[in-house]
Amino acid sequence: MSQDGDWVLLAYRLPRVPSTPRSSVWRKLKRLGVAQLGDGLVALPADARTREQLEWVAEEVSDHGGEATLWLGRPLDTAARSAVIDRMTAAVAVEYDAVTAEAAAAHTVEPAARRRTVARLRRELHRIHGRDFFGCPQREAARSAVETLAATNTVGVPK
Amino acid sequence: MKWATRPGVHVDRAACAWLIRRFVDPDAEFIFPADPGAIPADATPFDMRGAALGHHQDRCSFETALTSFELADDPALEEIGHIIHEADLADERYDAPAAAGLDILIRGLTMTGGSDHDTLVITDRLFDGLYEHTRRQLIIGRPPA
Repeated sequence: MSQDGDWVLLAYRLPRVPSTPRSSVWRKLKRLGVAQLGDGLVALPADARTREQLEWVAEEVSDHGGEATLWLGRPLDTAARSAVIDRMTAAVAVEYDAVTAEAAAAHTVEPAARRRTVARLRRELHRIHGRDFFGCPQREAARSAVETLAATNTVGVPK
Repeated sequence: MKWATRPGVHVDRAACAWLIRRFVDPDAEFIFPADPGAIPADATPFDMRGAALGHHQDRCSFETALTSFELADDPALEEIGHIIHEADLADERYDAPAAAGLDILIRGLTMTGGSDHDTLVITDRLFDGLYEHTRRQLIIGRPPA
């Protein structure tokens, strides 16, 4: 993803109560990997997919009696842009590191459980990759840890 | 009838267009206005913000359309609804491994030129096949060869 492209911004307001729609919207935004720029203002690097994703979140906000508008914009301040990108990348780095640690820890479990862990971690990597917009460097370590675990044929580790 | 959706069709819009043409309106005419405000009064919008045939209650437009067209009792269409849901929303509500491949194939189609009408010609064939495969699988209870 280019570092100097447009961003799609969602400005939204939802009633405080009931709280269920608020948390449902927030969960969706978290999964999309948005940068939170302010209270009720989130952003994603703009492409056809992210625009559509935020459009449907906006629709959900309207469906629950809130207000939502979508904007296309570009930060004027390079340092502010870098700070937002760094924050987004750091957030996915934490997720990748958790996968790396889990894969490393799973070498000692029995083969069937290890295969299940591999399948689960591959799905998890796929999910994280979907919100990794700026090529987080920790991805490679996580991917390689999971594939190493997948290639492990021995039960447990040699003493 | 005239049906309107956003240009640059992707999986949910392509699936809705197929559903409309095969099960609702064989003579459907699809238009793709870039400006959502420019939809002619005689056209029914789908898979657009504000449309009844859109994403509602955590369902994708195809799933909304199944209910709205009273087609939800066709188990093969319901199953395809799960695939479209996962291809479009990827929220892991359904176990639909075909979704990832379908998402990539249709996204790739829209990248290799051609108009939205051209894309729909190909996706109609894809969904015909998916429907037949899903239908047979439900009948015999295992993946058909």
